Amino acid sequence: MSVLARSVGNAFRNKVRTAAVVAVLAVAIGLALAMLVANQAVGAKVQELNASVGTVLTVNPAGGQGFEGGGEPLTAGQAATAAAVPNVSAVVGTSTLRLRNAAAAAAQTAQAGQTGQPGPGGQTGQAGPGGQAAPTLTTSLTAAVDAGTLGNRNQQANGTTGSTGTTQQPVRSLPITATGIGAEVDNTGKALNITQGSGLGDYSAASTGALLGTTLAEKNNLTIGSTFTINDQTYTVSGLFDAGTAFGNNAVYVTLPTAQTLAGTPGELSSMIVTVNSMDNVAATKAALQSALGTDKADVTQGQNLQTAVSSLDSVKNISFIAFIAALGTAGLIILLIMVMLVRERRREIGVLKAIGAPNRTIGLQFVLEALVLAALGSAVGAAIASFASGGIASALISSNTTTTTTTGRGFPGGAGGGGGFPGGQGGPFGGASQLLSSVTASASPGVIAGGIAAVFGVAIIGALVPALLTARIRPIEVLRGE
Amino acid sequence: MIEVKNLVRTFKSGDRTIKPVNDVSFELEQGTLASIVGKSGSGKSTLLSLLGALDKPTGGDVVVDGVSLASLPDSKLTEYRRRDIGFVFQQFNLIPNLSAVDNVMLPMEFAGLRKADRLQRARDLLEQVQLDPSKHERRINRLSGGEQQRVAIARALANEPKLILADEPTGNLDEQTGDHIIELLSSLSRNHNTTILVVTHDRVLANKTDRRFRLQQGKLTEEPVRGRAVAATA
Ligand SMILES: Nc1ncnc2c1ncn2[C@@H]1O[C@H](COP(=O)(O)OP(=O)(O)OP(=O)(O)O)[C@@H](O)[C@H]1O
Ligand SMILES: [Mg+2]
Repeated sequence: MSVLARSVGNAFRNKVRTAAVVAVLAVAIGLALAMLVANQAVGAKVQELNASVGTVLTVNPAGGQGFEGGGEPLTAGQAATAAAVPNVSAVVGTSTLRLRNAAAAAAQTAQAGQTGQPGPGGQTGQAGPGGQAAPTLTTSLTAAVDAGTLGNRNQQANGTTGSTGTTQQPVRSLPITATGIGAEVDNTGKALNITQGSGLGDYSAASTGALLGTTLAEKNNLTIGSTFTINDQTYTVSGLFDAGTAFGNNAVYVTLPTAQTLAGTPGELSSMIVTVNSMDNVAATKAALQSALGTDKADVTQGQNLQTAVSSLDSVKNISFIAFIAALGTAGLIILLIMVMLVRERRREIGVLKAIGAPNRTIGLQFVLEALVLAALGSAVGAAIASFASGGIASALISSNTTTTTTTGRGFPGGAGGGGGFPGGQGGPFGGASQLLSSVTASASPGVIAGGIAAVFGVAIIGALVPALLTARIRPIEVLRGE
Repeated sequence: MIEVKNLVRTFKSGDRTIKPVNDVSFELEQGTLASIVGKSGSGKSTLLSLLGALDKPTGGDVVVDGVSLASLPDSKLTEYRRRDIGFVFQQFNLIPNLSAVDNVMLPMEFAGLRKADRLQRARDLLEQVQLDPSKHERRINRLSGGEQQRVAIARALANEPKLILADEPTGNLDEQTGDHIIELLSSLSRNHNTTILVVTHDRVLANKTDRRFRLQQGKLTEEPVRGRAVAATA
């Protein structure tokens, strides 16, 4: 019979009590593990969100609201000011135009009272903070986005009926966003993914080259070298890009001066895309940039609902971590108290072991091992509890912490031009915090559970160490004391 | 050789001080079988616990083969108890949830004996104390008092100690089994040169020992055995 065998035997000496202790331990350990799982899942999500928010800030004219616009346009001078802010690594100016199919526009103008049809971004009534009113120009291009659904909805809202797929309904054509860019990035600051052809070369000079979204080019049967017109001027397709979304691909990019000339607003910018040198500096730089440009002149934003999502997730992460530590501490405390009780109860027996020559460390080890047996049983049951409960606990934590966030969440600020790139808050890739949060899956990964159980054992050892050291103080003469 | 020098152990009970061991001195040659008799509460168990280093004296010293127990640190006292002492407790003090064999193996485990050797020796010892082999694996709390007593004796012999301190080892045994235990102890002292100090109320046992002491009011006096007069050393 070894120390370990004795410890296991002792752990089951009083079966009813062992069962009770294991049950209580299992609840604490199960809670700890569930919290750890939630913490890990949320932590992973936070990282993912942070990475997607990236280091890009968007500067829009103060007071601007989507295509409906407003506010003083930004200037090249402000771009220089922004570039001078510490930690800013790049400033890219953009100038946004709204293109309508020439034929459709003509037909639409003919329709009575049909003015200012809201852009798709305006559908939810919560457009992101956009640039100033984007000038609408005519083009030979036809929008690639299926106007059937969106167009219908717009028109129903306007009290007209639209039928999908009939050319008799010219109003079904949607605007195409043309953005003049000062560098080869899209209107959210991401580098353009050019899949065919080449970029525009010098983005600070006027040129007749243009980059088309893949679906837009396909819709219009355009390939590299094909031409199309904007306001009767001819442009050549020099490259195709894939933005990854239908709306993102229903777009045209030209160089910044080209767009400014087309809009008749040389030197003015719809927005600026500011890249910060590191993730850690984003918050500070955002504040510095805002004060450098003035709150009355410019709005500096970072993927806002992402930010609030991240901060509410962060608080869930913190809460779950604190709860993990607390539950872990509780498990340790339970073990400590049980073991202190056992040591007191077996005082005489410890005296016997000492009287027949057991070294203190052997007796201490026996009690630590006994505590670990209890911890192991508690962990086994606790892990089972956690695997059932962690999903529910995580979502309960998240929903109770983010209800306020989700109701106030605005549509993703789609860079210049408000909702130009995204269909508002109704299910776009960054549609709302709620959607992000519901994608947090608190599945109990074996690694995390194993780590949690290791922590439980660590705490169990610490909890058992105190009573084990108490045994060292028991003198062998206890053996002669009556029970 | 065990030398007891002016040993004192006092207890405070309320405002009274009791002195069950009050200036006790004697010597035992290695291999001696000796007995201590005395009234209940006279301090026999107290004296034994001091010799076995279970307790520390209020005064005086016990010197074993030239080594003073008073000078030893606790770790050395533990080693002394493990290697040199075999204690048979008046209350047996076996571990109740372990089997007879496991109890006997415990001191050997602490001494670092290999498991197979421990088991073999434990079975041999249990046979020597005449515990029925069918009861070797039985848990202590399912054994009778006399059976437990024999397991306790077997455990005391486990590490072949130099000194066996037995507190009423035959108290719960029938005459025949008691005689056998006495025979076992005296053969150990004769053949293995083991020093044995037995506390007993049993006149027959006391008269079969080489020397006999009486503890009375804290003082130890030697009494003659088998008609042989021996000078008291107390
Ligand atoms: N820890 C203690 N505290 C106070 N008094 C004690 C303690 N241990 C023993 N005594 C007292 O010391 C005296 C001697 O006790 P001890 O157990 O040595 O007697 P004994 O001779 O073995 O008796 P018995 O034959 O009944 O076993 C008793 O009066 C007992 O009450
Ligand atoms: Mg006694």
